[in-house]
Amino acid sequence: MAKYPFLREAASLIEEQGISLGDLATGEYPKVAERALARIRDSLERREMATDLKDVENEVLSYALALALVYSAKSDWLTYRFATAECERCGGLLAMESDSKLEEMARSHFGWRVEKTVPPMGSNFRFRIDVADYLRVAPAFHADGWKLVNRHLSGGTVYLKGGQLARLMAEALKTEIIRRASEEGVRNFVLPDALKPLRDEILRRVEEKKREYGEEMPLGLVKDATPPCLSAVLADLAAGKNLSHMARFAVTAFLINVGEDVDDVLKLFENVADFDAGRARYQVDHIAGNVGSRVKYKVPNCAVMKSSGLCTNGGGLCSSIKSPMVYYRKRLRSAKGVPGGRVGTAAGTGGAGTGTGVTRGQGRPRQGEGEEGGRGEAPGGSGRA
Amino acid sequence: MHEVVTEEFRRYYERLRPDDLSISDFTRREIALLQFNEQVMIRHLRFGSPGALKGALVAAPPAHVYYSSAYYRAPEAPTMAGKGWEGADLIFDIDADHIPTPCKDGHDRWRCLDCGATGMGFPPADCPKCGLKKIDTTTWVCERCLDVTKKEVFKLLDDYLMPDFGVGMGDVEICFSGHRGYHLHVMSESLRRLTSDGRREVADYVRGIGLDISFHGFTVLGGGEIVGPNLGDGGWRGRLAKSMYAILSGASEEELRKILGASGKEASLICRNREKALDRIAQDAPLWGALRGMALERLGRIAGATLGEVTCNIDERVTLDTKRLIRYPNTLHGKSGLKASKISYSDLEGFDPLSDAVAFGGGDIKIYVKEAPHVRIGDAEVGPTKGEEMVVPKALGIYLICRGAAEPRE
Repeated sequence: MAKYPFLREAASLIEEQGISLGDLATGEYPKVAERALARIRDSLERREMATDLKDVENEVLSYALALALVYSAKSDWLTYRFATAECERCGGLLAMESDSKLEEMARSHFGWRVEKTVPPMGSNFRFRIDVADYLRVAPAFHADGWKLVNRHLSGGTVYLKGGQLARLMAEALKTEIIRRASEEGVRNFVLPDALKPLRDEILRRVEEKKREYGEEMPLGLVKDATPPCLSAVLADLAAGKNLSHMARFAVTAFLINVGEDVDDVLKLFENVADFDAGRARYQVDHIAGNVGSRVKYKVPNCAVMKSSGLCTNGGGLCSSIKSPMVYYRKRLRSAKGVPGGRVGTAAGTGGAGTGTGVTRGQGRPRQGEGEEGGRGEAPGGSGRA
Repeated sequence: MHEVVTEEFRRYYERLRPDDLSISDFTRREIALLQFNEQVMIRHLRFGSPGALKGALVAAPPAHVYYSSAYYRAPEAPTMAGKGWEGADLIFDIDADHIPTPCKDGHDRWRCLDCGATGMGFPPADCPKCGLKKIDTTTWVCERCLDVTKKEVFKLLDDYLMPDFGVGMGDVEICFSGHRGYHLHVMSESLRRLTSDGRREVADYVRGIGLDISFHGFTVLGGGEIVGPNLGDGGWRGRLAKSMYAILSGASEEELRKILGASGKEASLICRNREKALDRIAQDAPLWGALRGMALERLGRIAGATLGEVTCNIDERVTLDTKRLIRYPNTLHGKSGLKASKISYSDLEGFDPLSDAVAFGGGDIKIYVKEAPHVRIGDAEVGPTKGEEMVVPKALGIYLICRGAAEPRE
C-alpha cells in the first residue's frame, strides 16, 4: 500500500480513520505535510521520488494530500510533472513485482482484462491483454514497438512481456492523474483554508521552475527550431506548391502556436495557386480560435503527421518526441546560451529511419475534400462517410 | 432535384417497413438529413422510433440520411458537450474512389483546374503538366470497381477483424454505401470506448502503417543467420511470413531486382537457391536468411513489396472519427438512387450492388443523357453516350439523373 497509495485499499484506510484533508495540515500530522511537499518538490525538480516502505500511513496520507494540493493549484504543468514523477516512481516498483501480483493489480485497479499466458511461438510474452484495454494507454508511447501494428495481436488480445505490462500500468496511472484534473468534482474542489499557505508555497515554486525551463516561447517563428516535417511544408508553400488539406492545417496551426499573427500567416499562403483571401482568412482565424468555437487548435502530433504522410522521419531529436511542437520547444530550449539566441542546426534532419521499418505514413490523393474538415474539425464535427 | 426523383424516393420510403430502419440503440443516435438542393444538413435530430423516422422520410424525402456512429445521452443537443458522448461504433469505409483500379481508365476523367490538362483514369496527386494539385474529377463506378471494394471488405473481415481483433460476426454490420463501396460497423461493446488515438492504431494496423519486421519474430543470430516467423503464426507474423514466402517463391529475377535494388546480386542468389531457401522458411523454427548474410533491412524491403496486396484500403479518416455521421442503412443515396443495403456476411459473396441495391422497379422513363460512360443498373445498360434522348427502365433513369448525367423528359 505504501508503494501504490492510489489503490482502493489506501482510500479506505483514510476513510476508516476518519481523517479529513484539513486535519493533515494541523500539528497532529507534521510528517504528512512535510512528505507531501517533498513529493511535489521532487516532481518539480525531476528527481527520483523515494518510497518509504516503513511508514505506510505516512506514505498513503501524504500521497492523498499531495494530490489534493496539486489539483487545487490548477496548473496543468504541475499536474503533468506530478503525474510523470508518480509514473516513474511506480514504474520502478512495478517492474520488480511478480507476474501474479502484476496480473492481480492490472485487473483489480485498472479493470483490465489481462491474463498470464504460456509464451507462444518461442517468444517471451508472458501476458495477454484485451486490445481495447491496451489501446487505452499504448498510444501515449511513441516508440515504434508500442504501435499496435508492431505487436502480436490475436483473438482480440495483445501479447506483452512482463516489463511491458508494468510499463503500461505506470503510464495508465499517469493518464489517470491527468484525466482526473478535468473532472468536475476535482475542478470544483475547495481546499480547506488551513492548506492554502501550503498551496501558495507550491505555486511560487511552480512559477520559479517554469521560468527556469523557459516554458514561455519567444513570439514568432524561429526558423532553425522548426521541425523537419513543417520545414518541408513551409518550403513547399514558399515554392507556390499546392498543399494537401492536412498540410495546410498543420502549418497554420504551427505558425499560430509559435505566435505568428493571422496576417503574417496569410502572407505565406498568397503564392498558392488557389489562394482565396477571404476564405483563407476565415480558416486561419478559425484555427487561431478568433472565430467559431473559439478554440485555438493544436498542432497535429507525430502520429497524425505520420498517418497523413507528412512526417519526414527526421531521426535525431525526432525519435524522442511525440509532437512537432515539442521538437520546436526543445530546440528553442537547447539554443539558450547560444549568442543571439539563435539555434544551431545540429540535430539530424536527414536520417533514413531504423532500417527494418517497412512503411511510413502514405499520403493519398483525395478529391472533393472539404476545406474545413480534418483534425481541425469544429466540435460536433459533421464529417460524413 | 427533379420531382420524379423525389416522388420515387417518397414511394420507396412509403413501402419500407419501420423494421427496415431499426438500428442498434436507436434513441441514443443523432440523425441528420440533407434535403435535395440544400447545402446545409439538418442535424441533431432524435426520433422516438424507426416508425417516426419513416414518417419524416415520407413527408419530405431527403437526398441523404445519416446517423451518428456515436452513442449519446442526449443526441438532440446542439453541442458536443450537451450531447454527452458515450462511445461510438468502430467504422471502416471502403470506397472505390480511393482505390486505383484499371477500369477507371475507361470511366473516370480528371481535369487540372490550373492549366486545363485532362486525362482518363485515377487522378494523379499533382498535375503531370503543371505540377499543381488542384484537380477536378468526374468519377463513375462499375462492377469491377465494386468487386474490388468487396474483396477489401472480405480481406478486412477475414484477415484482420475476426482473427486478429477477435470480432465476432454478431458484432459486425456490413452495408453497401449506396454508391461506391461498403461500410463496416463494428459494434463490440469493448471497442466502443476507443479514443481517436486508439482508433488510429487500429487503422494503422490494417493499413500496415509503421510496420517494422524486427518486431515480428525476425532476428539476426550470431552467425548472421536470420530466424523468422512461422507460416502458421497469427497476426502480422503469419501475414508477413505468408506474403513474403509467396514473393520469394513466385517473383521473377527481374521483379526481385526491382525490390532489392540495383546490383541484382541478391536477386540472382535467391533465384539460384530458391528451392532450398523456401524449404528452410517452411521448416519448424524457420530460417529466413534466404541466403546467409542477407540483412534484415533487405527482408524488410521484400515485406514492403507485399504490403499493397495484404493491407486494407480504407479511408482512415472515417475510422479515426469518434463522432462521424454515417449513411443510415436501408435509406437511399441521393447521388445514385441506390439503397444503402444492409448485407449479411453469408450474402456478401453473391451481392451485386448494381442489381441487389436497386430500389425502383416497374415502368420506363424518358430521359435526355448529357454524357455517360457505359452504365448498367439491374439488367439495363446504356452508353457510352452523349446528347441522346432515350427511354430506359426507371431505376437506370433515376440513377443517371441522380448522377447529374441526365434529365427527365416529358
